Amino acid sequence: MQLAVNITVLASIYALICCGYVLIYRVSRVLSLAHGELMMLGAYGLYATASLFSGHPLLAVAAAAGLALAVGAAVYAALMWRMTGESVLAAVLATIALGILLRGLMVLFFGTQTQYPLRDLGWTNASFDVGGGARISAVGAALVLGTALVYGSLFAFLRGTRWGLRMRAAGQNPLLAAQRGVRLHGIYALAWALATFTGGMAGMLLASDAGLEGTLVTIGLKAFPAALVGGLDSLLGALVGSLIVAGAEVLLIYYVDPLLSDVVPFVVLLAMLVLRPWGLFGSREELDRV
Amino acid sequence: MTLLKLENVEVAYHRVITAVQGVSLQVAQGAIVALLGTNGAGKTTTLRAISGFIGLDDARVTHGAIHYDGARIENQPPHRVTERGIALVPERSKVFENLSVRENLEAVVPRPGSDRRQRIATVYEMFPTLAALRRREAGYLSGGERQMLAIGSALACDPRLLLVDELSQGLAPLVVQQLAARLQAIRRELGTTILLVEQNAQVALDIADHGYVMESGRIVLDGSPERLRAHQDVREFYLGGGEERRSYREVKQYRRSRRWYG
Amino acid sequence: MSLPRASGYFRTRYAQDTALLETRTQKAAALAFAAALAAYPFVAGPLALDLANQVLLGSIGAVALMLLTGYAGQISLGHAGLLAAGAFTGGILFKELGAPFWVTLPAAALVGAGLGIAFGLPSLRLRGLYLAVSTLALHFIVIHAGAEYETRRGFSTGIVIDPPRIGDWVLRDARAWYFVLLAFAVANLLFSLNLLRARTGRAWRAVHGREAVAEALGISVRRAKLAAFVVSSAITAVAGCLFAYYRGFVSVEAFSLYLTIQYVAMIIIGGMGSLLGAVLGTVFVTVFPYAIEAAMRLLGLADRLASVVFAVNYAAFGLVMILFLVLEPQGLVGIWRRVQDWFLLWPFKQRPLSK
Repeated sequence: MQLAVNITVLASIYALICCGYVLIYRVSRVLSLAHGELMMLGAYGLYATASLFSGHPLLAVAAAAGLALAVGAAVYAALMWRMTGESVLAAVLATIALGILLRGLMVLFFGTQTQYPLRDLGWTNASFDVGGGARISAVGAALVLGTALVYGSLFAFLRGTRWGLRMRAAGQNPLLAAQRGVRLHGIYALAWALATFTGGMAGMLLASDAGLEGTLVTIGLKAFPAALVGGLDSLLGALVGSLIVAGAEVLLIYYVDPLLSDVVPFVVLLAMLVLRPWGLFGSREELDRV
Repeated sequence: MTLLKLENVEVAYHRVITAVQGVSLQVAQGAIVALLGTNGAGKTTTLRAISGFIGLDDARVTHGAIHYDGARIENQPPHRVTERGIALVPERSKVFENLSVRENLEAVVPRPGSDRRQRIATVYEMFPTLAALRRREAGYLSGGERQMLAIGSALACDPRLLLVDELSQGLAPLVVQQLAARLQAIRRELGTTILLVEQNAQVALDIADHGYVMESGRIVLDGSPERLRAHQDVREFYLGGGEERRSYREVKQYRRSRRWYG
Repeated sequence: MSLPRASGYFRTRYAQDTALLETRTQKAAALAFAAALAAYPFVAGPLALDLANQVLLGSIGAVALMLLTGYAGQISLGHAGLLAAGAFTGGILFKELGAPFWVTLPAAALVGAGLGIAFGLPSLRLRGLYLAVSTLALHFIVIHAGAEYETRRGFSTGIVIDPPRIGDWVLRDARAWYFVLLAFAVANLLFSLNLLRARTGRAWRAVHGREAVAEALGISVRRAKLAAFVVSSAITAVAGCLFAYYRGFVSVEAFSLYLTIQYVAMIIIGGMGSLLGAVLGTVFVTVFPYAIEAAMRLLGLADRLASVVFAVNYAAFGLVMILFLVLEPQGLVGIWRRVQDWFLLWPFKQRPLSK
């Protein structure tokens, strides 16, 4: 039972991070490998606002969330819009370079010490029973609920609202969308803002759980196989992919070897690429598009 | 009243390849104007220059002016041009494949000041087939239905000028005739001005008020449909009325250039 | 009858056609350059010598990556994994069997070739982004295997390797290393140049341009792609093994994703599709951290930021990469060509046909 709880929590982490990958890929066909660093930036944002608004934890969280949204849009406005005409490799490399730049800047501004934003907020990470002898931490529960909320809202937004529809249209055929009056820059900036927001959320929650340090970025990197397994342009796929990867990871750690944790997502990814490169729910044409 | 006027427009790709040279044409408000020519004549480039989407192919209007409704619109960003009420029905990739017909129409951003619901209702009125296929995914539509949707989604923008690129491409003659009739209905009932680029001169001249013939980036002939139909060269090369066989080379380069400019 | 030869491009024999250096000016320039290279270790200080060694070593891997990505068009993000494989082969053979360098280097090449097949198999089905991702996954798996070996055999801090020796003479001196590495780098460059001019190279360029057309022309796309991966990986593994000998030390931490990015940066900043670009890029990326340090010292920030100098390097590197990607996609070679054009055409000006 504890295994099931662990899988759910890990899957939530991956899913929350993945929706950033999927959102950006869907509108711009770019796999943003800066996502891990943006996650960490979100967590540092929380750390900064926690110290700034000490005594008002909710305000700090809200401020950090707003900051993440702004940073995402800023990343698009400053860099990624220039890459819209270039080849996919160039755009991906630009995200990698951005990640490196952010990593360096973060160390320069915040130092290399591990931080504990949860403590600064004045909250504690209590754990409680879920039945069947399993326990879950408060942060874990927040992760699961948060992921469910995020995915629910995203589905509603993309399927139900007009701007969600335009986002889907822009992802499919940007030129036609532009010809029909859709402001592509706005859509792309929105995608980046939402992606950074969800990634930042994941970063904040993870930092609350285990502390803020460099390994946060590796978790971000481990999550993208989940997105690919599910299909890079499908949110539903991201959910399913995260469950599969998280399940494989937890089970293999428990039954085989704890050291496998870092490499399992990539083995699953490789298997998927061999069998069905476009993922479980991805659109097949994606393969030839690049 | 002239709605659109091109004055000596020159369009160059990558700064060196001139695709359109010294093209001047006029489109009166409420008229249907046909732009004829073979492949590579520069028709699509001209349309793209008007709609503002040539920047993507590293092309620019390097000379001349495009006047629309009193303003100059050459080399403007695309959304500016769309806001003014110019909608383009492209040659290829004209619908959102994975969205339903209804979603295709709703994704459109209408011109500022237009009522979206009203426009979509108008589109359904104009194309009853689309109304019946509301929920069908666009990728599963037949060629004719797809073209209808393409025109419909352009109409949903509430344009004053509709640019149609290759109406008849890949469609059966009967379907093309129906679509041409729809274009006339659009002009009649909505007052939309239409600039139609076509290789099928017959269909185009049937519905147009005025026609231009383009060749190698230049306008070589213009006039009313009757005059164009009567012209020997148009009959020979576009309407299939020629008597002798000629080699393509002779036709394209030598004889034609003497004729057009003579 | 003596035929006019003033242009130097008039060829009468096949040997002239296949020669790498044609005109007298080219030969003279090459000779002067070779003399400068030979004299360098005797005039350069220890830091400059170490830098040169690093550049020579890096150029081997960069040229290999350029062959794969710049010419054959197969995007690979697994470069560090291949370097690690070569280094670990050397380390493992040395530690377990006490093998000498003339066994470990060929063994590294073989291991590289074998891994090249593994890295290359996905390329038969995938392209672009998906291929890059598959190589990334393989990189992590290789690194994990290396880490596993380290922990299981108790070398958690890394494997120490003795420098290569022939009889009594041990390769330890930096100057000696310079000539050894120069030999390897030049051999690699000549090999690559000739490979590119031969059928294999042409097949790669065809596959890079249009796969369907290449197939239609009778080129076995499958074989070309796998050949690209195998050749590139073998060379890279040898570079990794040399790297292990040069440092005297093998540890999995040195082969991170950042190393792959540095190599990719070398070919991007250098200029894709050009061996000169690979070399220029290597020089740039290798010298860059030292230049940053010198700049910091100049600006007086050296003390304040001493503890985080790696972070400054990181940030500056990321920034420079972004600048090159946005402003000069053709890289240093593009700049070099434009300078050349300017001198050649002066006083005329020429605008390039396309960006």
